[in-house]
Amino acid sequence: MEILPLMAFGGAIITYLLGKISHRLRDGFAVSVSWLLVVLVAFFYGTQVCTTYYSGFFGLPFILRMNSLSWLFAIMIAMLGALSITFSLSYMKGREKTNFYYLMMLLVNASMLGVVLSGDLVSFYIFWEIMSWTTFLLISYNRGPAIAAGMKYIVMSIIGSISMLIGIFSLYASYGTFDMSGVGAGIASASSGYILFILILFSITFGIKNAIMPLHTWLPDAHSEAPTPFSAVLSGILIKMGTYGLLLFMYVIVGSKLLFSLGSGILSFQYILCIIASITIVIPTFIAVLQTDAKRVLAWSSIGQVGYIILGIAFGTSLSFAGGMFHFFNHALFKALLFFTVGAVAYQTKSRDLNSLGGLAKRMPVTFIASLIGIFALIGIPLTNGFVSKWLIYKSLILEGSPFLAFAALIGTWGTILYSYKLIHNMFLGQLPEKYKNVKKAPLSMQIPMVILSGGILLFGILPGIPLKVINGIGTSLGFESLSVTMGGYTSETGALNIINILAVMVVAGVLVWLFFRAGGKSKRVAQVSSYGAGASVPTDKYHYTAEFYDPFSRMIKPYFRDVIDDFYNWIAKGARETFDHVRHLYTGDVGHYAIYIVLFLAFLILVSLVWFL
Amino acid sequence: MIYYIGAFGLVFIGLYIILTKRNLIKVIIGLNILDTGVNLFLISVGYVREGTAPIFSRGSGQVLMVDPVPQALVLTSIVIGVAVLALALSLAIMLHKHYGTLNLQKVKEQKW
Amino acid sequence: MVSPVLLIAVPLGLAFAVPLLRLISRRIPKYIPPVAMLFNLVLSVSLMSSTLKEATVVSIGGWDPPFCINLVVDSLSILFSVLIALVGFLVSIYALDYIEMGATENTEKYHMLYLLLLVGATGVVLTGDIFNLFVFFEILCISSYALVAYLGDKAGVESGIKYLIQGAIGSSLILIAIGILYGMFGSLNIADIASNINSIGSIALFIPLALLVTGFGIEGALFPLNGWLPDAHSSAPSSVSAILSGIAIGVGIYAVARVIFTLFGVSSIFPFLAILGVLTLLVGEASAFKQNNLKRMLAYSSIGQIGLIVFGLGIATYHGISGGLFQVVSHALGKSLLFMAAGYMIYRTGSMDISALKGIGERMPLTSIAFTIGAFSLVGLPPFVGFASKFLIIQSALLKQDVLFFVLAVLVLLATVIEVAYFLRVCQIIHFKEGNNQKKEDAPLVALIPMFILVSLIIIIGIYPNLVFDFLNSAASGLLDKLAYIEGVL
Repeated sequence: MEILPLMAFGGAIITYLLGKISHRLRDGFAVSVSWLLVVLVAFFYGTQVCTTYYSGFFGLPFILRMNSLSWLFAIMIAMLGALSITFSLSYMKGREKTNFYYLMMLLVNASMLGVVLSGDLVSFYIFWEIMSWTTFLLISYNRGPAIAAGMKYIVMSIIGSISMLIGIFSLYASYGTFDMSGVGAGIASASSGYILFILILFSITFGIKNAIMPLHTWLPDAHSEAPTPFSAVLSGILIKMGTYGLLLFMYVIVGSKLLFSLGSGILSFQYILCIIASITIVIPTFIAVLQTDAKRVLAWSSIGQVGYIILGIAFGTSLSFAGGMFHFFNHALFKALLFFTVGAVAYQTKSRDLNSLGGLAKRMPVTFIASLIGIFALIGIPLTNGFVSKWLIYKSLILEGSPFLAFAALIGTWGTILYSYKLIHNMFLGQLPEKYKNVKKAPLSMQIPMVILSGGILLFGILPGIPLKVINGIGTSLGFESLSVTMGGYTSETGALNIINILAVMVVAGVLVWLFFRAGGKSKRVAQVSSYGAGASVPTDKYHYTAEFYDPFSRMIKPYFRDVIDDFYNWIAKGARETFDHVRHLYTGDVGHYAIYIVLFLAFLILVSLVWFL
Repeated sequence: MIYYIGAFGLVFIGLYIILTKRNLIKVIIGLNILDTGVNLFLISVGYVREGTAPIFSRGSGQVLMVDPVPQALVLTSIVIGVAVLALALSLAIMLHKHYGTLNLQKVKEQKW
Repeated sequence: MVSPVLLIAVPLGLAFAVPLLRLISRRIPKYIPPVAMLFNLVLSVSLMSSTLKEATVVSIGGWDPPFCINLVVDSLSILFSVLIALVGFLVSIYALDYIEMGATENTEKYHMLYLLLLVGATGVVLTGDIFNLFVFFEILCISSYALVAYLGDKAGVESGIKYLIQGAIGSSLILIAIGILYGMFGSLNIADIASNINSIGSIALFIPLALLVTGFGIEGALFPLNGWLPDAHSSAPSSVSAILSGIAIGVGIYAVARVIFTLFGVSSIFPFLAILGVLTLLVGEASAFKQNNLKRMLAYSSIGQIGLIVFGLGIATYHGISGGLFQVVSHALGKSLLFMAAGYMIYRTGSMDISALKGIGERMPLTSIAFTIGAFSLVGLPPFVGFASKFLIIQSALLKQDVLFFVLAVLVLLATVIEVAYFLRVCQIIHFKEGNNQKKEDAPLVALIPMFILVSLIIIIGIYPNLVFDFLNSAASGLLDKLAYIEGVL
């Protein structure tokens, strides 16, 4: 199994070296390496392996581990990595520093694989850090405002890493091992105060990476300023590394029994996590409605969707866990798809501003259909996979009687509908502005990933049993009771979900509608601008009602949805800068002062030692 | 005992000069006084009452001698002091060439 | 087996031969430091395996200890000796071209002083006699005073004279302490004093201890004794900055450690050492944060790293001291690399401002990559050597299960955040800001080779720290086991 990280890292380095020779060679190699990784990971389906692969780091054994949880994450990482690299083939044409870009993309991929495959805490930390700094370099790639975004990201990420390091060492100090299973065995007998302490430390780390409120402020800048294929990877899978971490610590190491016993009722760790998750669903979703940059809408949307995932996972029933995990899987698919479509539009039109795009449906049909499917999945319309996962979450919330959480989830969907429609309307529907009249279709290497992802969304939407079976396996291995999963959904005493039936119903309904449509009269095609202007001429270009979409609604909610947390962090940063500026004024440049420091230090030492011993 | 007081007196005078005087030449002189005080202290450590110079000569036999080790140390220390003094004075000349002044309060370009 | 005396004698002889050899040919002097340091490197490495078992003691002049001047070569000394020789060798290769650039007069003085600095440093770590330590320490200091002011420009002379004044105060303090110790114990041999140290009451001991810590701490850049450092390291020519930052302050810390651990061995001072280390770290990192001058920023970062090393030493367990020593190694490797890269970057852009470095990643790709890797290593990101050393230090701090060390460890990690902010900001400016699009001209090959040797060392030792770990452990025991040291000598 060592071949997986070896090939991933080796592939990255060879790609960089090949790039010095020839660009085509490198492109081809990068794509083949990433797809080869997908195939290799797929080989390991269903296996449970645990090997020590390296002992050169102070004699500590580094362990690689594959189980069902790691496998799901690994296959997602590999898939998204491969798709993004395919997408990059045309996205990066003619841009600078492409060797660096491919190297970093493959390194991020490789380090994420390392994170999910590691079986001991030190290699987990090492791969986590490599993931962080390669992401930082890649975010800053776009220059301009991306530089501040990258700095914000890396500072917050390092704060998270510090928290994790303290947790790892304190676990080592208590149990004498870095091995995850060893720590798990040890922590089973720890006091709940200590478990809470450890969980909070690690939750800070994973919360920062996961962009849960209030630790989310790095995400909108980072995801919108990064190059688009990397934004897809970021939103699709990198922030889910935080989810993996939370899963690892909550269920694998601490264990579900111990976790649910922490605290009671409202104040339990679990419930507080659910509340934080629901706040994360509601607020960023509405902030997304206010955005005018297409990628920023998607970035805030990612924060909101992650809230669903955490809600599902933290809530604790097997149904909600399946829903949360499935939503993780789906979100990767449809968010990557949406980023790809926005990227394709931006590539062809050189603009991401939602106030000025429009009407591209006819010029870029494949992109439009893909985007439409992605939007449907995001909202949760039946026949897409988003529907199944959201259904599972709603159902489990309502079943267990948590009205507030269910209400938050449903409001989240309402907001999602709002911004999703804004996205697709402002990009594809409406009127085509003059300057975009000759926009070409997206190139093939961009279309292929979009088609694959849309196909995946529909496939897993109609036959959700395929991924649900895998997720069920993970759930049972983590201690949840099993769901009876069928090909079309699942069955349980409280009701069943069978998408195939729904599909049949929709097909029949569609056929009926079509028949009625044919039987009725024909309709006449009219040009969009031939409307009645009462004598004045209709301005063709300004007749474009995608600008300031949702303006009344925006004006209503804007004062309440400023990002105060971002302002708070900026205030702290400013305070720190001022303090540090004062510290450096200690070094006044006057050698008399320095000599006084020396003498004072000496006097202090002698004084202290006299006092100590008297 | 008087030598210790004298030595530490010189040390403190030297330190005082370095800490408070602004003229570079005065500071260098203070450095030198500090060195001298320390040397005096070292020799006083080796003083044996009623001892003579520690030189073996014919017929000296069992005469009480002062400790020769500190004297060797002091020789080395004086040489080091001279080297530092020479370097300091040459740097002072160059400093004057650049700044036109030997006032240490005015020589503050490198700060913070 | 070759005598370790050659480690000092050969470079010393070659140093004094430099002006003579210049009379033969003008081009010879610049090749002598690399030759001398290569010899030292080879000899030190060959001595490494034998010192792992027991310390080698060489008595000069045929007398027995404790009456003679002796060299005590234990694994700690060899570790430092290898480090000094390695970094000295690489920086001297770098200086083959760097010093000649823009030199209006003969440069053999630089090479002689450089070699003398390294002789002083090697002497400090190899000796077992406290006055000999002082003498070699003085050789080190005086050479560095002269090298800082070597270029003769305004900044250099100002920094040089300030450095000299503070260093001279320090030397006098050390000498007073040596006098007091001699008066108390009648011997100058470190092992001898160490074995008798408990016979005197502890109150009287503290004055020489304080004097020695202050005196050596001035060169070792502890807070608040390091007022000279930012000026000196930023005004000196870059190859000198590399050696000063990488080696000279490490040697100062060696002296402090030798005094505290071997000579005195008072265990109640260790928490104080740790607190002092963290204080130095925080002041250093905070002061580096808002700097606009690249070399000054690197100098303050050196202060920070010294604080980290002292913190590691203050943990005073085997792991902690190994961590501190490992940090000396990683700091030497990383900081020399950074200064070497910065030297050519400053030369090409003509300014020491960080904002002038915009876009230099395009003009000098290899140098910028080297700088970036050095920066990542210093901050402590895997898979570089800085991560391994920080890992060891924090691990041993948290293993102590003591509230004080827990708080200190958290402070150390918070200082890492500050480091990340300013170092990675510079990396971003280098690679990702728009430059003036001038043509590509990288540093010359002579400069690139040592930089990339350091890069590969940083990566290799970072991925496989076991290479040095056993050696570090034995070096740590050399520091902690006072009795073993004494027995080895007497």
